[in-house]
Amino acid sequence: MPERARRGPGLGERLGAAWRRVTAAAAERPEATEEQPRGRLASRSRRDFLLFGAGIAATAAAGWWVLPERTKRTWLPLAHDRLDTLAARVGLTRAQREAQLNRALTFDDDVAEALYSRGRRVRTYDRPDPRPLRNNYHGATPGPGYLADWRLNLSGLASGRTESLSLDELRSRFTRRDMNTRLVCVEGWSHVVAWGGLRFADLLAAYPPAPGARWAALRSTVSLNARGAPEPYYVSIDLETARHPQALLATHHAGAPLTVAHGAPLRLVVPMKLGLKNIKAVTDIFYAADEPADYWNERGYSKYDGL
Amino acid sequence: MTESESAAEQRRRAAVTRRAAERARREAERAARRARDAEPVRVARKHDGLVRVAHWLHVPLLVGLIVSGLAIYWASPVFHHAPTPGNPRGDYLVDAGHALAAWTGAAGDTRHWLYDHASLGPFQLANALRLHWLLAYLYMACGALYLAGLVRGGGWRALLPRATDPAEALAMIRFYLGVIPHALARKPWPHPPVAGKYNALQRGAYFTMPLLGALVVLSGWAMHHPATLGWLEMLFVNFDGARIVHFGCMAILGGFMVPHVILVIADGWDTFRSMVTGWSTRLKQARHA
Repeated sequence: MPERARRGPGLGERLGAAWRRVTAAAAERPEATEEQPRGRLASRSRRDFLLFGAGIAATAAAGWWVLPERTKRTWLPLAHDRLDTLAARVGLTRAQREAQLNRALTFDDDVAEALYSRGRRVRTYDRPDPRPLRNNYHGATPGPGYLADWRLNLSGLASGRTESLSLDELRSRFTRRDMNTRLVCVEGWSHVVAWGGLRFADLLAAYPPAPGARWAALRSTVSLNARGAPEPYYVSIDLETARHPQALLATHHAGAPLTVAHGAPLRLVVPMKLGLKNIKAVTDIFYAADEPADYWNERGYSKYDGL
Repeated sequence: MTESESAAEQRRRAAVTRRAAERARREAERAARRARDAEPVRVARKHDGLVRVAHWLHVPLLVGLIVSGLAIYWASPVFHHAPTPGNPRGDYLVDAGHALAAWTGAAGDTRHWLYDHASLGPFQLANALRLHWLLAYLYMACGALYLAGLVRGGGWRALLPRATDPAEALAMIRFYLGVIPHALARKPWPHPPVAGKYNALQRGAYFTMPLLGALVVLSGWAMHHPATLGWLEMLFVNFDGARIVHFGCMAILGGFMVPHVILVIADGWDTFRSMVTGWSTRLKQARHA
């Protein structure tokens, strides 16, 4: 060992030398100067400031163009109409804005899809959050009247038939699974919930969809709008997500049967999707080859909603 | 007749002389201008082109991200107290809006005052989300452009922290505190010596901002995909942890703009111009001594 030490520098010395090389490479260099004819500087400066001004003008126009209508009315109540007319005249129309923003949304969905791997489980928790889960029905919460003759209707099946299942049939024929997962709302709040119910995958195995089907359309006909009038709610779920072992058709929440506020008697729980895909009080499931309509997508939100 | 003829002749000759003199004067002026234009001026190269482009792009991107981000925040504020009649979400920004509206003398329903003035507004969640994603991707691209410019121009070296920074930063704080009192008393108050492109406070700020930019991006991704990027969410403890970090980074990045703009105005035209053109006529004389 002492002989080897004599042959070359020790580890400490080598590290010291490496550190000195790093600090020398990272040390600030003296200010770089150059000589330029005054006229050349002036013309270059003029060019750069013209570009700068053009950039400001383009940004102002683009900024105005992407603003939502309500924001424009609030910020410039007197001039917004005239500015909109002006913007439309140079081709910056409302329809184009919608198309561009939706392209950004689709791009973001594609990134989410690329990050997603079907085998991966969503994080589960030892305990659910102790506070009560918020009822975020976007309209009025329906009364319990629909529960008495509730049935789950399945269509688009390989058998070509339409199935109608009662809650008792679902409970007795399928194994109950429990999981504590986080429900994340698009609004920004989240809640770890103890869910119980059957796996969507088990239902799919028992009632296989027609060949070529890639999507499930889930619908709730009991859903109401804010004024309490019937307004069906519907979501699209790709079958790959539906077959994920953590995709449940939940019948229980916090150890008890679902309450009406949380989607009794059966709701979808897909913890790899935003809360708005977790449709309450499902009445119909339809399997389709093409992506079905999605309630919130028709109102400007993503239709992928992957977490 | 002859008298008036000779008078006319005289006037004509005077006009010719005047025009010749004028031509000569203009010619001399042009020659002087040419000479002045050809005169070499020594300038310092300050900022790489990519850094300049990224710097200015950051302004509308940051503003757009803040106004759309606050409109998203409105839907479910992470900082809240118990609900009150006028404030069912218990949102502190609604309280702040009330206070600011009272201060500015605004009348009517002032619940959304802050959201109306500093964000896209209430009830704009879908619009705000779309815009936020679009700008977020542009912001990340802009950050990459900035880093590429720092590497290409070697500007990163001027931003790294140094052992002498704490002492120099204290000297700078002492200087800034004394500027106004000394100006009022008309006493000299020399600027502490600065070794390098930036003083220690600038270096600290310009080094921290990219790190906060990275943190705001990471916390954003943690909130956007807490399931697929669960490890990232855990880095911020939980979902709300990521929201709090994201909000805090926004506040600091936005707040940084205030002293930044004030100090650039105080520093003068040359500093502003150098971020547009890349060069400065203010040389560090000591380096050439």
